[in-house]
Amino acid sequence: MADEKTGTPETGTILVVGGGISGITTALEAAEVGYEVFIVEKNPYLGGRVAQLNKYFPKLCPPTCGLEINFQRIKKNKLVKWFTLTEVEKISGGPGNYDVTLKQSPRHVNGNCTCCGKCGEACDVEVSNTFNFGMDKRKAAYLPHEMSFPQRYVIDPSIIGTASAQKCRDACPYNAVDLEEKAKTFTIKVASIVWATGWNPYDATKMTNLSFGKVGNLITNMMMERLAAVNGPTGGKIVRPSDGKAVNDIAFVQCAGSRDENHLAFCSYICCLASLKQTTYIREANPESKATIYYIDLRTPGRYEKFYKKVKADGNVSFVKGKVAKIEEDPATKDVIVTVEDTLSGKKIQSRHEMVVLATGMEPSTAQVKVPGNAKYDDNGFVVPAEILATGCVKKPSDVMSSGQTATGTALKAIQMVRR
Amino acid sequence: MAEGKLISPDLDFVKKIVNSGGESLKKCYQCATCSVVCNMTPDDKPFPRKEMIQAQWGLKDKLFANPDIWLCHQCSDCTAFCPRGAKPGEVLGAIRKLSIEHYSFPRFLGRMVGDPKFLIFLLAIPVVLFGIIAPIVAQMIPPQYLEGSTPGNLFQAMTSTEPIVYAERFMPVPIIDTIFGLSALFAAFGFFLGITRYWKDLAGANGKPKGSIFSAGVATITEFLAHKKFKKCDVTVDRSQSHLFVFYGFVGLAITTTWAIFYLYGLHRPSPYPLYDPMKILGNASGIGLLLGISWVIGNRRRNAPKAGMGSYYDWLFISVVLTIVVSGLLSELLRLFGIAQLAYPVYFIHLTAIFFLFAYAPFSKMAHMVYRTTALVFAKSTGRDKEIA
Repeated sequence: MADEKTGTPETGTILVVGGGISGITTALEAAEVGYEVFIVEKNPYLGGRVAQLNKYFPKLCPPTCGLEINFQRIKKNKLVKWFTLTEVEKISGGPGNYDVTLKQSPRHVNGNCTCCGKCGEACDVEVSNTFNFGMDKRKAAYLPHEMSFPQRYVIDPSIIGTASAQKCRDACPYNAVDLEEKAKTFTIKVASIVWATGWNPYDATKMTNLSFGKVGNLITNMMMERLAAVNGPTGGKIVRPSDGKAVNDIAFVQCAGSRDENHLAFCSYICCLASLKQTTYIREANPESKATIYYIDLRTPGRYEKFYKKVKADGNVSFVKGKVAKIEEDPATKDVIVTVEDTLSGKKIQSRHEMVVLATGMEPSTAQVKVPGNAKYDDNGFVVPAEILATGCVKKPSDVMSSGQTATGTALKAIQMVRR
Repeated sequence: MAEGKLISPDLDFVKKIVNSGGESLKKCYQCATCSVVCNMTPDDKPFPRKEMIQAQWGLKDKLFANPDIWLCHQCSDCTAFCPRGAKPGEVLGAIRKLSIEHYSFPRFLGRMVGDPKFLIFLLAIPVVLFGIIAPIVAQMIPPQYLEGSTPGNLFQAMTSTEPIVYAERFMPVPIIDTIFGLSALFAAFGFFLGITRYWKDLAGANGKPKGSIFSAGVATITEFLAHKKFKKCDVTVDRSQSHLFVFYGFVGLAITTTWAIFYLYGLHRPSPYPLYDPMKILGNASGIGLLLGISWVIGNRRRNAPKAGMGSYYDWLFISVVLTIVVSGLLSELLRLFGIAQLAYPVYFIHLTAIFFLFAYAPFSKMAHMVYRTTALVFAKSTGRDKEIA
């Protein structure tokens, strides 16, 4: 079974760009049948968007569940090599014979790190916590999240050269902090490339009529995942950003940017189920709570119809058919007021909720950073697999389950390209 | 299942909407963004979302018999925010056009004014009337009725070396007054029949007015005078300003015309009048106001086109007629003052043609929006559909 391809990094065979669930799956499926694989990830940790979720479909597991087993597989497989804080700068050559230039930014923490946390304690600078979408702050010497893989701290580049950075280094008992580390650029040879850079939540401030950023208790669905997660900014308590009050009346605004030619022209596939799932977060946290879902059409692909029926049976969850196109804040109570036409009754209504979640959609990551090589895109900016393969949400909006399935298929395609 | 309701879609009507500037109609997926961003709509059964599905289903009678299509001022807030590019503003504009056509009398003229292929024919009527028939008739009028004027045809007038006096050399007042008097009567009659039928349909579908029609009328006019509704537009808010200029330009010119009739028949003072005459001052000021207004309208439409759409043939025909009237009117005056007969008479001829177009075709062109919107708003106010009482 095993191929005789054993290779060194210079003769590696498959490059997977993006270390989220799709990239990891592609890499492991290829490595476990004997192919050498590189994973390149721009964050300081693997796991991608899944790591930021509270629970994920189909079984509503916490991400630890699925990611941990994958990290184990990576650790145990010598054919998988991975680089964090690394981005692809240039791709030349073609299938079977690519030269790829990678640029790795410094982590400033070496392998001696034991995650003792001393550098974080010593650090006197706080920066916005991007892992929690800016809902809290983190030290500039930090572990991205508690189950980060690799388990190794990062020094934020913004403090390099300051006395604060020096304090972090002095606090480390293991001599793990390396403030001199520089970015390095190097080239690898691969036979096939899989683009798996995933998605970004669509920038909600672009929908000017929804007033995101101006209304305090208006968050996005990804922020809601962080709020509900036990390792999130509130320790898993779903509370209002404005006053920390527990949320008893929540609303979800579907298609916030999706299926809208002014924003994302396509259906983002996951948002309906995400809101149904998040409805269960609040309903399970507080039996008295109420939730309202404002939708155009509820899309529950495949067996997820069952989940929708389950949520629908809950008397405290209401569904209103109509798109919210105006959101305001009540200055006195900081409640959120949404305006919508209930198209089934034909009434334009203003509804007050304690907190409102925008079900923002998936923008392919290539909307911000293009593939630095010969890639094809569809009308919506997703990568079409061609000479450079693509998988996961950079190819098509998908949930975790279908990402896993397509990633496995992509592993086979990558192998075919290697053997051609 | 809820009990079924059988609808019989009028597919021809759907096609007509599509051909009248509502080609984006079928893109609508009923999300109701439009009803929310609209600042004009009442909260109960808001527009334009319901109009979009009624239009997709070809429910002509429902659309026509609802005053809502005229509560819409085509701000295009809906169009700008529409996630599908279905342009509800443009679709409602097309429905209003078809409504004008539907209630117009005779209806074939309504169809012709809305269809570019009949434009030549519609233009030919005033051209023949002022270019051929009027000069022949003028020759036949005994001189004692012409108060000393010696009318000729356009060519004779152009080559005349006498001072330029339109009424003396080219188109005698009795002829002008007869033609425009009759065309105004024709238009008034058409409007009368149209709004009678329209009111009947409105009352049939929505119930008879409960409140006073008189006070609803007063409220409507007061609202118009300040363009109160129009100012609620967001995306194309500048349109209310430009429309206000056009509106008051027309009001001023209407007053000027009445004033001139008084000079002519009341005081027996023949035209032309000196520039310092107060009537002349009002006329010129209104003309310049109208020119500024209509140019502003064109500028706004071009600037708003990416968000609001370019507008239909029907819109542009009306805008062109107004522009032609005001430009040819002001030029007629200037050319007369500068004594350039070769240009003055042809421009005056164009002016007459365009005014005829505006007057005689008023019940069929976009000019009719004035009458139908007023009717619809009076109805809506008297039934409580439009709760705003100025």
